[in-house]
Amino acid sequence: MPKGEILAGYLAPHPPHLVYGENPPQNEPRSQGGWEPLRWAYERARQTLDELKPDVLLVHSPHWITQQGHHFLGVPRLTGKSVDPIFPNLFRYSFGLDVDVELAEACAAEGARLGLTTKMMRNPGFRVDYGTITTLHMIRPQWDIPVVGISANNSPYYLTTEEGLEEMDLLGRATRAAIEATGRRAVLLASNTLCHYHFHEEPEPPEDMSKEHPENMAGYLWDMRIIDLLRRGRVKETFEVLPRFIEEAFAEVKSGAFTWMFAAMGYPEIPGELHGYGTVIGTGNAVMEWNLVKAGLAHAA
Amino acid sequence: MTVVAALIVPGSPLPRVAASNPPWGALAGALETAGKRLAAVAPDTLVIYSTQWLAVLDQLWLTRAHMHGEHVDDNWHEYGALAYDIRIDTALTGAILGATPSMGVRSKGVDYDGFPLDTGTIVASGFLNAAGRCPLVVASNNLYHDWQTTEGLGRVAAEQAAALGRRVAVIGVGGLSGSFFRETIDPATDRIASPEEDAWNQRMLALATSGKVDEFRALCPDYARAARVDMGFKHCAFVMGALGWRFSGATVHGYGPFYGAGGAVIEFALG
Repeated sequence: MPKGEILAGYLAPHPPHLVYGENPPQNEPRSQGGWEPLRWAYERARQTLDELKPDVLLVHSPHWITQQGHHFLGVPRLTGKSVDPIFPNLFRYSFGLDVDVELAEACAAEGARLGLTTKMMRNPGFRVDYGTITTLHMIRPQWDIPVVGISANNSPYYLTTEEGLEEMDLLGRATRAAIEATGRRAVLLASNTLCHYHFHEEPEPPEDMSKEHPENMAGYLWDMRIIDLLRRGRVKETFEVLPRFIEEAFAEVKSGAFTWMFAAMGYPEIPGELHGYGTVIGTGNAVMEWNLVKAGLAHAA
Repeated sequence: MTVVAALIVPGSPLPRVAASNPPWGALAGALETAGKRLAAVAPDTLVIYSTQWLAVLDQLWLTRAHMHGEHVDDNWHEYGALAYDIRIDTALTGAILGATPSMGVRSKGVDYDGFPLDTGTIVASGFLNAAGRCPLVVASNNLYHDWQTTEGLGRVAAEQAAALGRRVAVIGVGGLSGSFFRETIDPATDRIASPEEDAWNQRMLALATSGKVDEFRALCPDYARAARVDMGFKHCAFVMGALGWRFSGATVHGYGPFYGAGGAVIEFALG
């Protein structure tokens, strides 16, 4: 079996508003659109993902929160209706996804080997969180690529940010080892928003874009600084300022997906491609891609 | 009297799904005892505030008349599913929805098929309302609401119950100390993870039991901080808001660990 590879990583945020704005048949609520620049950013990302032809998509979501360890979806097929507990008016989505259980088990085993507490989720009645589903829908609405879903252990909130992100670094390294050992051609999805300050009341209708803008100037400036660093491939510098970004912009990357993804990719100092940026109820969201095939760090199909 | 019972109970699923483990079984027994006592009081409605139903926009309240199904906990999925079948007191909830703007809080009702009830609400209603006799009012925990706002919500809920002539039991669903074991342990050896937090828990339980309301009230902020109490002990704020801090003592039906975190079944003595 050839050694597996990570083909690309995407920063792929999960505001359910994007699914709501798109009006796919799986989602019950109907909208008049909204958040087009971000949705069109995802359209571009869909095209590049399609060209990569991955075997599997791995997604780390901050809305599957676990306390005892890092958990992995471990049921071959999961179906159901996912209603967002925060935005039930926007997201009531009927999903069906196939899980790459073999790779998930390998990730859990490698994580345990590195000293992490890991657990497989084997319950077929489990409700997949809306962060996982939104990210997967927005990047691959065909739902035809198997998935590995990874929980967000709450270590960055329970321990210090730095200690928690060290765990996410280990999780990323374990993920890479598992991908290599199982021969998978994999794409990583970090389901994270950047600045996470948001408005506390929703406009009526929610898609009224005349009300949509950054919640605050400082958070917006932080987002632009981080995106600028990432577009120029200054990954090391990004991670040096990450704790300050998290602290000052209340950035959702604290939950670990961003660190997990970069650790798995080996923190490549390559320019990220910005597909688009936009706000959702004031939060900052960037759809970005690090294509390791184009960078010569992985092989084309 | 409008508020005829007031309790704080843990929202962990472990007593419900793994009662055969002695430390968790003891808490299950305590919850069953509290349920029997509540049945004897025969409230019209249970008013529940659960730390595990998180909200960030507006204050959310369940407004769907009947909800039933199964729920699998995000962390403890290996123990199976939690079945639930609840009815909502839509009249009282509607009155509360209409009243919270007077305290500067916009409320919204949640009436959607498939809405994911939180583990805490399911566990509490399962033990305390096992026969499904009472309809519920269920309030979310808006993460941006502080102690005072949460206390205000409890007060408004009690005022509206009084206006409708309801006899209600007010139940704060949430844990005590928050440090927990991050690694896998033998469940039979479960204990409060931090001796300091254990001491804080017991100090607060003793104050509640002895009816030292002023001291209990004064120490809540320090306790919440020092013992990493679940969501800043806001479930207590909600209950105390409904009670107006009027209680003469408390019975602790049980106190114990949930993978290191603290939990207790506390029934406040009213009058």
